[in-house]
Amino acid sequence: MEKEKVRELKDSFNKKLNKPLRYYLDLCTRCGLCYDTCHAYQGVPKEIYTPVGRAEVVRKVFKKYFKPTGFFLPYWGDATELDDHVMDDVYEAAFSCTGCRRCMVYCPFGIDMGMLMTIAKQLLLTNETAPEELVMLADGAVEKGRSIEDFKEGFRSVIEDLQVEVKDRLGASSAEGLIPMDKENANILFAGLSGAHSIVHPAVIFNAAKEDWTLSFFEAVNFGYFAGDSEKADFIAKRIINEAIRLNVKEVVIVECGTAFRIPKFLMGDLPFKVSSIVEVIHRYIKEGRIKIKEKAVQDVVTWHDPCQLGRNGGVFEEPREIVSMLAGDFREMSPTREFNWCCGGGGGLVALDNEEFRIKSGKPKKEQIDATGAKMVITACENCVLQLNTIKSGYNMDIKVESLTELVSQNLVL
Amino acid sequence: MMWDSVSYFILVPMVYMAFAALIIGLIYKLLLVYFSPGMKGITPVFPQKGPKLLGIITDAFFLPTTFKKQKIFWLMILIFHIAFVLLFVGHLELIAEFKWIQVVPHQVFLGAGAIGIVLMITTLYFLFRRFGHPYRRISVPEDYIVLLVLFFCIMFGSILHLADRYSDYGSVLHVGVQSYRSYLWGLFTFQPDLSYLISETSHFTILVLHVLFANIFLIMFPFTKMVHSVFTFLAHNRKRM
Repeated sequence: MEKEKVRELKDSFNKKLNKPLRYYLDLCTRCGLCYDTCHAYQGVPKEIYTPVGRAEVVRKVFKKYFKPTGFFLPYWGDATELDDHVMDDVYEAAFSCTGCRRCMVYCPFGIDMGMLMTIAKQLLLTNETAPEELVMLADGAVEKGRSIEDFKEGFRSVIEDLQVEVKDRLGASSAEGLIPMDKENANILFAGLSGAHSIVHPAVIFNAAKEDWTLSFFEAVNFGYFAGDSEKADFIAKRIINEAIRLNVKEVVIVECGTAFRIPKFLMGDLPFKVSSIVEVIHRYIKEGRIKIKEKAVQDVVTWHDPCQLGRNGGVFEEPREIVSMLAGDFREMSPTREFNWCCGGGGGLVALDNEEFRIKSGKPKKEQIDATGAKMVITACENCVLQLNTIKSGYNMDIKVESLTELVSQNLVL
Repeated sequence: MMWDSVSYFILVPMVYMAFAALIIGLIYKLLLVYFSPGMKGITPVFPQKGPKLLGIITDAFFLPTTFKKQKIFWLMILIFHIAFVLLFVGHLELIAEFKWIQVVPHQVFLGAGAIGIVLMITTLYFLFRRFGHPYRRISVPEDYIVLLVLFFCIMFGSILHLADRYSDYGSVLHVGVQSYRSYLWGLFTFQPDLSYLISETSHFTILVLHVLFANIFLIMFPFTKMVHSVFTFLAHNRKRM
């Protein structure tokens, strides 16, 4: 690797070193408690798929260039010089990690693996070896943010078609205004995804609850975050934040997408509005009696998969369980569950990459968890999880249905 | 003559150097964190139970998920750290007399030698644990060196104490505590005096080795994974709301 490239990589590493990363890089004792806590390692038992193995790839580079011992005594901590081989390891470490932070729960120091992997992803961006798919999707989202006016008319015509679908579902007389857009002072700004289902089902629920809401022009998913590009991630998130401020809404509600929820909820600092997941809002409507669902409508044995960014990293544990318990006649918890639940293996942008074989293998713990419940239906509330659970289903020929919670609620509303 | 110079260096200038390295090193590490860019937002892990401070203390001192995952390792960690604190308190009594430590009257040092033995056992446990799968694969030289330095430091310290307390030679003379107080108080007040230590202490060579390994340990402290003792609180603070 050329010296100039090494210098660029060192500079980009240095720019990522914020307060928490400074101590996360220093305090690991390699106690090994995290060793088998990653689903990827469970499916493909390679050391680089262990949390400590991943972290050491980054940490050894850190030692080499940012610690006196790495300079004077490189063997002391196995300090590693940057080269093409190390960059291959950096890729493997970064894009086998979904950022689920299950290892963090087991780490006696609470080292945040997701955050450590932002360094790896930044190095890959600087090295121009980051996954092209994610970089292009992030660029597309940034471009949409820059020239939203050019997109608006096309988007409006798509939404008009979706309004008809919502009208039919609700049995309403007119489709007019069922998916409002650009509405000032609404209670809720809803951010969906690019798929029609991510807008239609929430729209049915909002209308059933007689909510004063409006739809965002932007999709909630943040490919800048998945690619590890903090500037683009910030820009993409601010598209919705600025829209919410412009429209003066009270609450931003995020579609079933764990990362899209976690970013504005926790990672963007204080915001002048509340941020909620669609799951929390559905739960609120049921509790307030604003919507009614058909109780025990699902007769199959059902289990709930906690999306990592919604549960462990978002704190939304109880609400979906209460909703699922109402919908299902036989709801069975997975084991382990809640903060110890296994990641399905689809997060962190991994479902967007050409890595299906790896994801089937890394989905093994999830497959075994589902099998153990005897469930015929797995309900979840994250688009990535739905896609990955379906990959696991077909990869292992599982006799299960994978359902989105919002969709299931929308289909079982008492109207 | 040569040995006199070496032992003097280890017992006096090197001790000052070790403490300077420890203090300056830790301050340097903390300043690095302090002056690094902040991060907007928070990164909690759920569920969040109880008040934040209580959560940090529980996570840092009682390691609940370690207990859940590896009970023997958890027990060893707890015993090791408690013994380490008691060892530190015991060394305070070798500098001067502290009434608050003598609330329960005891002969210096605390534990009558048991603490050193417990520390040796736990340190060896941590060391041998690294030889097994998968820990050997994730260990780096630093992991072994730190434990070896600590083990030798504790071993020589224990020999000093056990011999002084239980051997005929030590029990007749009973000079240990006064000798050490004269030495350590002299260091503390920047008036080092080794004359009493050299003439009266029964195991001078062992003492020099004990101090040598203690010095190395202190010098290494801020530049190795031992900083977990400080940074663990910052990390646990980050995952709480």
